[in-house]
Amino acid sequence: MKSPLQANVLFQLGPVPITEAVITTWAIMVVLILGSLLLTRHLATRPGKRQAMLELIVVTLDTQIRETTGAAPASYRGFIGTLFLFILVANWSSLIPGLTPPTAQLETDAALALLVFLSIIWFGISKGGVRGYFKSFAAPNLIMIPLNILESVTRIFSMFVRLFGNVMSGVFVIGIVASLAGLLVPIPLMALDLLTGLVQAYIFAVLAMVFITATVEESQPTVKDSTPVSPLLERES
Amino acid sequence: MSIDFWSLGLQAVNVIILIWLLSRFFWRPVAAAISKRQDAVGTLLSDAQTAKTNADTLLAEVTTAREGIAAERETMLTEAAKTAEIAANLTLTNAQKQAQTLIDTAQLESVREADALRAELTAQATQLAVNIAQKLLSRLDTAVVQSAFVGLLVEAIGALSADDRQSLRAADQGIEMVSTLDINEQDKATLTQALGQALGSLPALTFVSDSELIAGLEIKTPHFALHNSWQSDLTTIAKALNHAE
Repeated sequence: MKSPLQANVLFQLGPVPITEAVITTWAIMVVLILGSLLLTRHLATRPGKRQAMLELIVVTLDTQIRETTGAAPASYRGFIGTLFLFILVANWSSLIPGLTPPTAQLETDAALALLVFLSIIWFGISKGGVRGYFKSFAAPNLIMIPLNILESVTRIFSMFVRLFGNVMSGVFVIGIVASLAGLLVPIPLMALDLLTGLVQAYIFAVLAMVFITATVEESQPTVKDSTPVSPLLERES
Repeated sequence: MSIDFWSLGLQAVNVIILIWLLSRFFWRPVAAAISKRQDAVGTLLSDAQTAKTNADTLLAEVTTAREGIAAERETMLTEAAKTAEIAANLTLTNAQKQAQTLIDTAQLESVREADALRAELTAQATQLAVNIAQKLLSRLDTAVVQSAFVGLLVEAIGALSADDRQSLRAADQGIEMVSTLDINEQDKATLTQALGQALGSLPALTFVSDSELIAGLEIKTPHFALHNSWQSDLTTIAKALNHAE
């Protein structure tokens, strides 16, 4: 049995090795893009069942973003929604026999985590400016700067390790059980893997939102608290 | 365990491309459709609100107009009632006037008829009295009655004022003596003598008869008449009766 930690290189494009995960990713991209083109044709003011389903997805995502960030969801919708959809489809691609999900490879999860890291910087600077972004590392005080820098790296690291560990372990367990017990025995584990894939996609997307929101909020200019006036004692002369 | 950074970078680029493409072909169109429908719903709600406002305004106008109509109806009814009352009063007044006029006319007519009836009755009574008097007279001695009237005439002449007696004496055309029957020569002489004694001097006498007197003897001149007959007495009585009633 091949180690899941080792990438399966199918061919080389110059110095760039094209792995199975990359090919699967391209296939997922094609499916998602073609699916989007097909599903978003003929959108009307009076929606049908297909459009209602699409709008339900978008509205649910917008609601989740709005409740998490407290901001308008338009600027976050594309990034967070695509992350969720890609990870979900990638995780569920394990249902296709002989296909290893791209998220079971370390490079894919690392790439996703890297994009989250870069998006945190991008949204932090675009919402609070460069000064505001760097000021977010000094929250709540200057002493926390090293810890905040370390946290910004470790939390990203924990994201991709969590995703990678869950997906890879699922694939690994199913592979072991299938090799030992036969074809039909792993089916319950595959059903569990579906749930795990959904939960992990949700967790990754929500954590990305939380990290972006935390940075954006800390990069915003703070409003000085006014001196409390209560309890206010009034004496009658 | 090692990380292939070429694959990492390639996967990162793949995801970035996917993010861009899905944003362009999935998230934005669907969000735009939602926004478009929300705008349409907002427009519809705004139109509905406007229509509701217009309907409320129209309802208020209709309510006001209806209240105005009711007030106008009430005013018209009040005016009509007043007009009817005035017309009824006028009609009643006219009717009362006409009735009073009819009553007055009827009363006048009744009085007139009563007067006419009374006059007729009086005339009949007078005629009856004349007839009775004539029948009673027919049973009396004419000479005695005549002498009685002569005596009455002499007394009447004596009761005249001096001026009246003087005017009788100075009658140029004489005195006309009117009696019921023709007077014989002896009675004429007796009567001439009695009048001469009553007047002092006597102008010429002319004797005529008139059955209308019933009984009596009268003196007539162009300017003077001394009635002394039952006919004049009955006329006097009838006048007295008429005046008494």
